[in-house]
Amino acid sequence: MKRKAASNIYTVLVFIFLYMPIAVLILFSFNSSSSTGRFDGFSLRWYRELFSDAATMNALKNTLILAVLSSIIATVIGTLAAYGINKMKNRHLKGGITAVTNVPMMNPEIVTGISMMLLFVFVGGIINSKTVLGFGTVLIAHVTFNLPYVILSVMPKFKQMDKHLPEAALDLGCTPMQSFLKVELPQILPGIISGFIMAFTLSLDDFIISYFTVGSGFETLPIRIYSMTKKRVTPDMYALSTLIFVVIMILLLLSNISGDKEKKTLTLKQKKRRKIAIISTFSVIAATTLGLFIGTSFTEVVTVNVYNWGEYISDGGEDEDGVASVDVNKEFEKYYSKYLSEQKGRKIKVKVNYTTYASNEDLYAKLKAGAGGYDVIVPSDYMIERLIAEGLIQPIASREEITNVIKNYDYLLREPSDGETMTKEETEIFQKPFYDNGEDVYSVMYTYGVVGIIYNADHVSEEDIGGWDLLWNEKYKGKILQFNNARDAFGTAMYKLGVNVNDPTAEQWQDVLNELIKQKPIVQSYVMDEVFNKMESGEAWIAPYYAGDALSMIYQAEDRNINLGFYYPQNEEGETVTNVFADAMCIPADVSEEQKAHAIAYIDFMLSVDENYGSPAIANAEYIYYASPNRMVYTNSSYLETLDGDEEIIYAPIENNIDELFNTYAYRNLSSKNLATLNSNWETLKVESSSFNGTIYIISAVIAIAIIAFIVFIAVRRKYRRKLYWEQSPIAIKKASKNTPSDDLSDTVTIAIKRSKSNKD
Amino acid sequence: MNNKKSLLQRAAAAPHIVWSVLFIIAPLIFVIYYAFTDSEGSFTMENIKNLAQPSYLEIFLRSLCFAFLATIICLIIAYPIAYFITKASPKTQKILIMLVMLPMWMNFLIRTYSWMALLEDSGIINTVLKLLGLGPIHMINTEGAVILGMVYNFLPYMILPIHSVLSKIDTRLMEAASDLGCNHFQVITKVVFPLSIPGIISGITMVFVPSISTFYISQKLGGGNFDLIGDTIERQFQTAYNYNLGAAMSFILMILIIISMTIMNKYADDDGGVII
Repeated sequence: MKRKAASNIYTVLVFIFLYMPIAVLILFSFNSSSSTGRFDGFSLRWYRELFSDAATMNALKNTLILAVLSSIIATVIGTLAAYGINKMKNRHLKGGITAVTNVPMMNPEIVTGISMMLLFVFVGGIINSKTVLGFGTVLIAHVTFNLPYVILSVMPKFKQMDKHLPEAALDLGCTPMQSFLKVELPQILPGIISGFIMAFTLSLDDFIISYFTVGSGFETLPIRIYSMTKKRVTPDMYALSTLIFVVIMILLLLSNISGDKEKKTLTLKQKKRRKIAIISTFSVIAATTLGLFIGTSFTEVVTVNVYNWGEYISDGGEDEDGVASVDVNKEFEKYYSKYLSEQKGRKIKVKVNYTTYASNEDLYAKLKAGAGGYDVIVPSDYMIERLIAEGLIQPIASREEITNVIKNYDYLLREPSDGETMTKEETEIFQKPFYDNGEDVYSVMYTYGVVGIIYNADHVSEEDIGGWDLLWNEKYKGKILQFNNARDAFGTAMYKLGVNVNDPTAEQWQDVLNELIKQKPIVQSYVMDEVFNKMESGEAWIAPYYAGDALSMIYQAEDRNINLGFYYPQNEEGETVTNVFADAMCIPADVSEEQKAHAIAYIDFMLSVDENYGSPAIANAEYIYYASPNRMVYTNSSYLETLDGDEEIIYAPIENNIDELFNTYAYRNLSSKNLATLNSNWETLKVESSSFNGTIYIISAVIAIAIIAFIVFIAVRRKYRRKLYWEQSPIAIKKASKNTPSDDLSDTVTIAIKRSKSNKD
Repeated sequence: MNNKKSLLQRAAAAPHIVWSVLFIIAPLIFVIYYAFTDSEGSFTMENIKNLAQPSYLEIFLRSLCFAFLATIICLIIAYPIAYFITKASPKTQKILIMLVMLPMWMNFLIRTYSWMALLEDSGIINTVLKLLGLGPIHMINTEGAVILGMVYNFLPYMILPIHSVLSKIDTRLMEAASDLGCNHFQVITKVVFPLSIPGIISGITMVFVPSISTFYISQKLGGGNFDLIGDTIERQFQTAYNYNLGAAMSFILMILIIISMTIMNKYADDDGGVII
């Protein structure tokens, strides 16, 4: 009884462990604030937000389509394969096929992912297509890693099946087809179903393989979550997970309950009914899947594929006070559909396929690897320079033509405030930024901003702030965060040392690297989006981040009586020395003339302040909270009212002479030599072990030695025993070693038998 | 008739064979090709040599140790629970197994994210500990947190195969053993455990392989301080665009796994099959 109680307690503990994080995410899905680290009160806000977020719903739909299709294909191919392999006579062929089949299961996902990516990129190179990565490739990848699981669950069923049964059926007059359907299929059906479910589950949750093989405006849920890293993982993802959890829980419970009843009382009629039910369920699934594909094609649909940073557009979500923001993509669909329909004289539907990425480097990797099919992308300054240089984006128009093409382009002209005079260069700084000032216009600026340092005013003393050296202050060891991307992290050290961020000498590179290595022991962690939770909860005290985001952290923290401060780092001469960045909309090189027209319409719409369509430019500026280069935005009184003084921080660089900041401190496209140095230095920094902790290695070594010793002990003992029994009773041992599941067991049994025998004697 | 049938049977596996050649073997050839060429496409050993520097060796060693410990801990936690589940009534068993599988349906990125909320210095666990007067314990961004993340995410992969093997053991064997004088402990060590080895093997495989190659868990729970092989490979492909070095690492990782698995299968006296 005691044992029973102990085992029950143990079981409960393990389940608590398994469900603790799930309980946490269910709890935070009802949080009234956007924090995923601290509960601020109950609300259904995130559920409402979830259903109004078209991009997330679209990602969910994509994930489901992908999971259903890939698991169906894998189940069909896999079942056939299991049938074929099972009937194979040639043992070597059989073994070979089984070995190859198991490869995706034994191979780490990351290797499977990259190996497929390499294949697709190569094939793309041969057929000279820049758009090889897409739905097709990710589907192929999913089928591939699903196959072994299907085969593994179907194969044993074929093996277990009595070979004589189909023969008997044939003898009794069944045709081979009938014998397969009536005799063989029902027996292997449980295997097929469990294989299908396994495949479906794996496909649904797969992130790593999709991450490397996806492209072309196709976004699955895991990828969407991953790309939220520049801003933050919002609790609507928690809400979605909670809903999925509840739905699956109910489904499983239902199937459990009904399954039990069915088995007991299954008449012929009920069997028939169940068959009908199964068939109709499958046809419903098939029909919906088909419908999802075809459904939209009855009316003419224009799709604009937009690839933007995570959380970088006003998406209709609610703010803290429950006021819904403008869903800019939806407004564009409305506007452009009306426009096109009027122009063409027939009904045309417009769809924005909006997908997201986490960093410039991700975007570049995708474009370079051949993930085409994007019509509008939003890279940052230095990346735009690089994309132009490598011919990966196309001119939107020539500089003379641009105002005819993009109607709202002049909104980007700067306006001198009262009494100020500006040169032509100064007024055109947003139209002719350093990264795009040639004959042709490649980009239209979306937002810009400045990097500063956010700190916890309760713990960080006033005299320490002011410069970049705060990030190196030993006093705050373990409370400092650093960027988890090469360019920004190295930037902080370069600004600190007063090094030219765009062309350091070899010596300076080394100094910068040393500076960061020196910093590593006092850094708590290298982060991107985690900075929000960590600063807002007081987990960390000091972090470099982008101004607009810093403000949103300050507001969140205020509600919890944590005082955060923010400043732009200055050098000893009192000049602001920090990074100014700009993100701008561009059109990839492979976009066709026809799609380009739609892309231009989208870009134009992003600059628009048309109140009939929710003033998209203003809505975005309010949502993103970075500086807007659009003068219709920063002169707008209601916008300034919303900012309520924050413009002092967000727009600080304007006062501080943006031209100079742009020209001196913005990141430029690095020469290939510098880029290689940056990457290899980042590599060095990341692999440098600051916190070398031998304990882990020692524990591992001790356990490994213990296991080896144990195995050796068992082996020796077995050998010794065999020898012992061989002398006593050759037959017993012969029998025992003859392929029974385990020698040990037969040893035990033989010993036992012997013992009991000798007892009797 | 017979001939025709065997043709049909051979054709049944054909789609799968074609698929395997195209999408399993061909991609692996590309990994090997990239691992041994430079960016111009000529043969080189430079990538492999590059990996021999101490910092990379440490990453390999660290990944190996983390994955090893995670696997051992998973095994220690999973074995008793799998055993207890088999002792329950069939209906409870079904429900318990369902409960083990259920977390796998939740997105693993989200689950890892919510561990962050639990483990932080000002997180939920520490808040509770503080209330109990046990003081805050620093957990996030440590080796322990990364290993915990691995254990959490891959534990079901250990429980399920072990349970599936245990539940198939003929209970009469245990009865016979205890009738013949084995005590409870001996029944487990002499009868149950040896018979469950195939399940343990497949459980170990299914935990070890994803643990050694993960990159998200170490980024989120390790604070980017403990680079694992997965992180390094991901960086080569997503930020450094050094496909060749990345392929070389993948290649070594594959070799590493093949070696570990061979050793394990050899010592475990098993036919090497993976059972689900």
